[in-house]
Amino acid sequence: MAEPTVIHNTFVLERSYPVKPERVFAAFADTAKKRRWFIESDDDHAHTVEHYEMDFRVGGKETARVRLGPGTPVAGLACTNDITYLEIVPDRRIVFVSTMSIEDRCISASLGTFELLPTGNGTDLIFTHQAAFFEGSDGPAMRKEGWESMFARLTAELAG
Amino acid sequence: MDRKEPTIDRVFQALGDPTRRAILEKLSDGPVSVSRLAEPFGITLAAVVQHVQVLEECGLVHTEKLGRVRTCRIEAAGLQVAAQWIADRRSVWERRLDRLGDLLAEPNEPAEEPEWLG
Repeated sequence: MAEPTVIHNTFVLERSYPVKPERVFAAFADTAKKRRWFIESDDDHAHTVEHYEMDFRVGGKETARVRLGPGTPVAGLACTNDITYLEIVPDRRIVFVSTMSIEDRCISASLGTFELLPTGNGTDLIFTHQAAFFEGSDGPAMRKEGWESMFARLTAELAG
Repeated sequence: MDRKEPTIDRVFQALGDPTRRAILEKLSDGPVSVSRLAEPFGITLAAVVQHVQVLEECGLVHTEKLGRVRTCRIEAAGLQVAAQWIADRRSVWERRLDRLGDLLAEPNEPAEEPEWLG
């Protein structure tokens, strides 16, 4: 009998920002603002942005492709997020689905929900991320050597 | 048995089987001989040996033979690899929301709210 191999995971992140929900929502709805926090990288997790576009509306698509930098364990691989917006309530709620692919292989699919809660002069942002993570499967080959070297490094770090 | 570096494929496939997950739970209480592992599951010794081999190949357990008895114990590295990979996804979002906070802390341009067409 075939065995299940998908792993499901849900996490919730919360932030409190000292600005009104309208400004938080604007950082999601405006492409120039969105890319500044969504795909620009810190020094420690450097990558090169190869492509980014967003059509922020129900049914609209967003695509982000980055090439992982030399400091990362999967250096040189292209990582793509493909997002579709399912529900948008201005200043209140954003719901989307997203897949993540390394090179051409889809490795996970997720449902993301942002809730923007007004708090006096600020906003509580609640992000719920529900994902299915996939094992290696038939189809375009992932760069296995990239993954294996990543795990060699992870294992070494965990042991050290 | 040669140790191989765990890959995400093998770890997730290993964890995908309910009997193997139950074996890992049992081993979290302490090392157990392979023959004693078969008892609670009502499966053959051969089936347990196969499950344990899968778990050992991806670094989730370690086995050692002393005399005639092969003993299994849990190996932390493999579980941490799978957990690490999932945790990485969460930490990507943590960094994004931190950067959003930095962006929102900047003085707002006097200009436009974005045109949102719905």
